[in-house]
Amino acid sequence: MASFVSAGLIGISLGAQYALLALGFTLIFGILGVVNFAHGGFYVLGGYVAYSCVAMLGLPYPVAVLAAMLATAALGYVFELFLVERVVDDHLATLMLTLGLYLMIGTCIQAVYGPESPQFSFPITGTLRFAGFYMPLENLVVLAVCLVAIGGVYFLMYRTDLGRGLRALADNREVAATQGLRPKLLFPLAFALSCGLAGLTGALVTPILSLGPLVGEPVLATAFLTVILGGFGSIIGATVAAFLVGLIEAYSVVYLGGSKGALALFVLVLIVLIVRPSGLFGKEARGA
Amino acid sequence: MSRLSQFSSEIAAIAIIGLSFLIPFITDSPFAYSTHNLIAVAVTAAFSVYIMLRMDLMTFAVPAFMAVGGYAAAIAGLKFGIVDSFFLTALSFVAPAVVALPLGILLLRLRGIYFVLVTFLLTQILQLLIFETPDLTGGTNGLVGMPATTIFGMELADNKSVLLLAIGVAFAAAIITALVSGYLRREFAAIEENEVLAQSLGLVVWRYKVIGFVVAAGLAGMAGFSLVNMLLTAHPTSFSPQSSVNYIAYTIIGGRGSMLGPVVGATLLVWMSSIFSTHGEFSEGLYGLLIMVVVLAARGGIVGTVAALWRRLTRNLGSETSAAPIVGTVKEVAHER
Repeated sequence: MASFVSAGLIGISLGAQYALLALGFTLIFGILGVVNFAHGGFYVLGGYVAYSCVAMLGLPYPVAVLAAMLATAALGYVFELFLVERVVDDHLATLMLTLGLYLMIGTCIQAVYGPESPQFSFPITGTLRFAGFYMPLENLVVLAVCLVAIGGVYFLMYRTDLGRGLRALADNREVAATQGLRPKLLFPLAFALSCGLAGLTGALVTPILSLGPLVGEPVLATAFLTVILGGFGSIIGATVAAFLVGLIEAYSVVYLGGSKGALALFVLVLIVLIVRPSGLFGKEARGA
Repeated sequence: MSRLSQFSSEIAAIAIIGLSFLIPFITDSPFAYSTHNLIAVAVTAAFSVYIMLRMDLMTFAVPAFMAVGGYAAAIAGLKFGIVDSFFLTALSFVAPAVVALPLGILLLRLRGIYFVLVTFLLTQILQLLIFETPDLTGGTNGLVGMPATTIFGMELADNKSVLLLAIGVAFAAAIITALVSGYLRREFAAIEENEVLAQSLGLVVWRYKVIGFVVAAGLAGMAGFSLVNMLLTAHPTSFSPQSSVNYIAYTIIGGRGSMLGPVVGATLLVWMSSIFSTHGEFSEGLYGLLIMVVVLAARGGIVGTVAALWRRLTRNLGSETSAAPIVGTVKEVAHER
């Protein structure tokens, strides 16, 4: 019973991380129609920026996390404004552009920091223990920050004019543009927001999991899984699916072991694609 | 406009690969052999990406199908003692094609984006499957000690004959690619140009996509067999998810508009990475940079750009006969103007 609850807690904390990643990914797709293959790259970059701030500049960890978020957001903004914007309506072209950026981020990190994982650990350690349950303290902190960030995204998207504008653009770009919303202004902002979220997650999570030039790939795969499950472009779908994925992963590690959980998830995604191709909360998936 | 010149880039691609049969007879440097062998594998795999790009679909599943083909050949050789290279090549085509058929039927009715993401996941999952089935695939150890293949009963054991087999596989792959992309030229062009319009005109789009996907999977499988035969081992690291990007890079940088593109791209990039192998870790970044350059500045890749320059040059020289585009689809030609 205790292990059941512990695994559940770990699943929720994993789910919160995945939700942050998937939210950023699905926002870009919903608003710009761009599949961001560099999302995993921004996650890794966030981790390395935070690491550099702590290890080289001696900044406190919370400041480093903030710096990582701002740095990745800035890179995302510039990348959208100068490169993606030129081919924004061509699915394949934007996919290739972001793929190219992902490869370059990986290589640049490897050139600067080398292929080995740097020593980067979470500043708070310890285990919270009550009524026989165990919960690592750092997971709790990450969970709390992630939940606040998710709340922030929801507030931004549903309670502010910027969010309303972004959702309007996602709904119907032409109509939104005729109403005076300017895609040229909002697209880079949306991209920056999404990349900032990936950077934030990277800065938070890599000290617990691991940091290395190649850790972005499984992260990207999980974001894909989550977004397909939840339905493309759906904010609520991405959040629910992320917690589902987190829980399945945590429980399968305890009860199935090895990589069977990942296999089970993939089968689940295939079934969802057959039964309900638009995902749990998506709108339309068939056709071009 | 003769039919022959319409297929000039297909013929050129096949001819180049055919001519490379001579290389093992000209030189015997081990470096040239290993580089050329890698190029033959890369070209075969790049054809798989090329066929998918004909339909405006990106695939990350090349390593997955390479693994299916490669492991099928390795298992046939190790456990059943089958060493005939014709049979193994055919097996390495059929096995992944059979796997791809139900997947394609299932996935290709969905939007292209879903398909791309699922191919990405597929490669990750296949890697896990290999680790989870050590009895069949040897797990993390891989399958070691592939017996030498034979052709008409002759053993192909030394480096030279292994290389010749790899070129032969690439040659066969080129012919299959030319036949499929030539035979379905109009259907593929219609899908690439405007899928919705093609569908509304009565083209059963997903059916042609499935055909393309199955053939592409088979071609990747052949590349897998070629790679396994070169290394004499089937090992999961040969089919890593990261390598899928390389095959995409070969095709896009070489030029996705014609069959010459993957040949040129794979040859140049593999050759470059073997020369600069001391800085191998930077090759991915270079590929990334080149892909971005192609997308933003040189849509046709190397082959398309050279062809466009050549056309402009000959036009400036005053030749009245402005021939129809040799390379590139309608879309790209329109873009160049």
